[in-house]
Amino acid sequence: MMILKTRVAGKDIEAPSEIVNGVLWIHHEGRTFATELGKKKKRHRAGGASGGGDLEAPMPGKVTKILKTAGESVQRGDAVLVMEAMKMEYTLKAESDSKIASIACAVGEQVTLGQTLVTFEAKAGG
Amino acid sequence: MKKTIKRVAIANRGEVAVRIIHACEELGLETVLLHSEPDMGSKAYRMATKTICIGPAASSESYLNIDANIKGALAGGADAIHPGFGFLSENASFAEAVEKAGMTFVGPSADSIRRLGDKVQCKALAKAGGLPLVPGYEGEDQSLERLMKEVEGIGYPVIVKAAAGGGGRGMKLILKASDAKEAIESAQREAQSAFGSSKVFLEKYLDRAKHIEFQVFGDSSGRVVHLFDRECSVQRRHQKIIEEAISPSLTDNLRRQMGEAAAAIATLGKYKGAGTVEFLLQDGEFYLLEVNTRLQVEHPVTEMVLGVDLVKAQLLTAMGEFIFDDQPRIPRGHAIECRLYAENPYLGGIPSTGLLGTVKWPEGPGRRFEYGFEKGDEITPYYDPMIAKVIVWDESRSRAIRKMIHTLKDSIVFGVHTNIPYLIEILNHPEFVEGTMTTRFIEKNFPGALAAPELTAAEKALVELGSKHKPVAGSSLSNSAAESSSSMPWQGYWRGV
Repeated sequence: MMILKTRVAGKDIEAPSEIVNGVLWIHHEGRTFATELGKKKKRHRAGGASGGGDLEAPMPGKVTKILKTAGESVQRGDAVLVMEAMKMEYTLKAESDSKIASIACAVGEQVTLGQTLVTFEAKAGG
Repeated sequence: MKKTIKRVAIANRGEVAVRIIHACEELGLETVLLHSEPDMGSKAYRMATKTICIGPAASSESYLNIDANIKGALAGGADAIHPGFGFLSENASFAEAVEKAGMTFVGPSADSIRRLGDKVQCKALAKAGGLPLVPGYEGEDQSLERLMKEVEGIGYPVIVKAAAGGGGRGMKLILKASDAKEAIESAQREAQSAFGSSKVFLEKYLDRAKHIEFQVFGDSSGRVVHLFDRECSVQRRHQKIIEEAISPSLTDNLRRQMGEAAAAIATLGKYKGAGTVEFLLQDGEFYLLEVNTRLQVEHPVTEMVLGVDLVKAQLLTAMGEFIFDDQPRIPRGHAIECRLYAENPYLGGIPSTGLLGTVKWPEGPGRRFEYGFEKGDEITPYYDPMIAKVIVWDESRSRAIRKMIHTLKDSIVFGVHTNIPYLIEILNHPEFVEGTMTTRFIEKNFPGALAAPELTAAEKALVELGSKHKPVAGSSLSNSAAESSSSMPWQGYWRGV
């Protein structure tokens, strides 16, 4: 741990900080925040769907059930697959009305954060 | 009957293993930690007199493996086993296997576990004893067709629960007919994976109920008393987040009635040691929810207001040496516990795993910290995300709330995200402050992820400064294992930075 010292708006501030596995952690006035070092600002979004509506793993874990198949039409809010991590189940749902293009994972597979699990066909005119 | 215990095996992990080791040390007992492979990096591992690895990461092959636990305890020269909570703590076959192997099970008899811990048998016992129950179905016919039919009969909303469960796993809510199939199947899968049995039962969901529970304790003479109540209404996905003692919601009259009911059912089950009788309270009526035949995660709040040590009392009861005196037991002041989960509150509470950096707990009067991991340990994805518990005591509830907020703000945890910002929001919420929260508090007030706050000018300056710093010796921490293993990459980040 190291103490960061700086001066902002005429006020001296000090904050404990530490780099853990390439991430900078800082605690200041009751809040802890973290930022990845050496990375550009924008990474893929963790969780939910990306711009195209594809489902990405919101956490590392195991795929326990796949409820839809490639080519199947889904409605916004339909459960598509179920994951398990830290002994809890999480259901991933379709973000919009669409058709499944491909299933990119298998039941029992260990997946990593941000891994694409299901892709959807681009919506016409959308 | 007195029994000699010299060395206690601990069939558990994390902060509760540490709690049990502390109690054993204070009683002059040696300890054997029965642990899985990844848990060599934990505080309990460093504290125990002896350690025995009983299997790989998967709970089913280690912490839930009866045979491996018994063999490990025997190999470690233990004459008793403390099961902690979760895992095998409410497994009657485990209690039996421990006794059969010539060791003492620190807990109730296998017979009591069956009668009270199995929710179906417990309800039958409660019915016989005239205790109020929530309408539901607990039949042997576990076919999807039958369960769906029973759901219709009970009327929505209905909750489906693992018969052997606890801790929120294997529990799903059914609000309407179209939810039923997915919810039942999901609960069955979770029940199978967490408890090794897919048996579920159904219950009417009380939608504005408070969760009130009573600590009960059976001493070595067979006398069962209650040690007052705790309120645990703040729950997310049926998992408790904040607990307190005593409940701000009970009148003296209700407290007396519920306490008597709790002691009555524990007495019917010939209860020995520490247990908890859980109730739901709605519109001034209380209903028995379930009995947990073990130590509870939130036991510290009871310890704080009553000045007792439940884990030492458990061990002494197992030795046949604990008998309640006739002093009146009167709760004093107010205690609150917050469960710290390794999760990212700005991403809807998704688990945050990885290498734990510096951790600093702000010690002070009436503050207690229970944790199982320290700097350099790995928070792995294999187990429950709870990494620590923060407990405070003060003279009144409002002072305890203020103390908790201060304590959480001054707690430093680097390396993994925690739910501290989420806890602070809850503690500041008017419904919590008034004490009127129900079990739907989270669902109603915090349905999604917390909005990530903008960084202040000072925070931005600190990030800029910290990013420029070349890591100097002692200021940076990394482990090659985490970087090379695809199952445990670095995941969390503050969105918007």
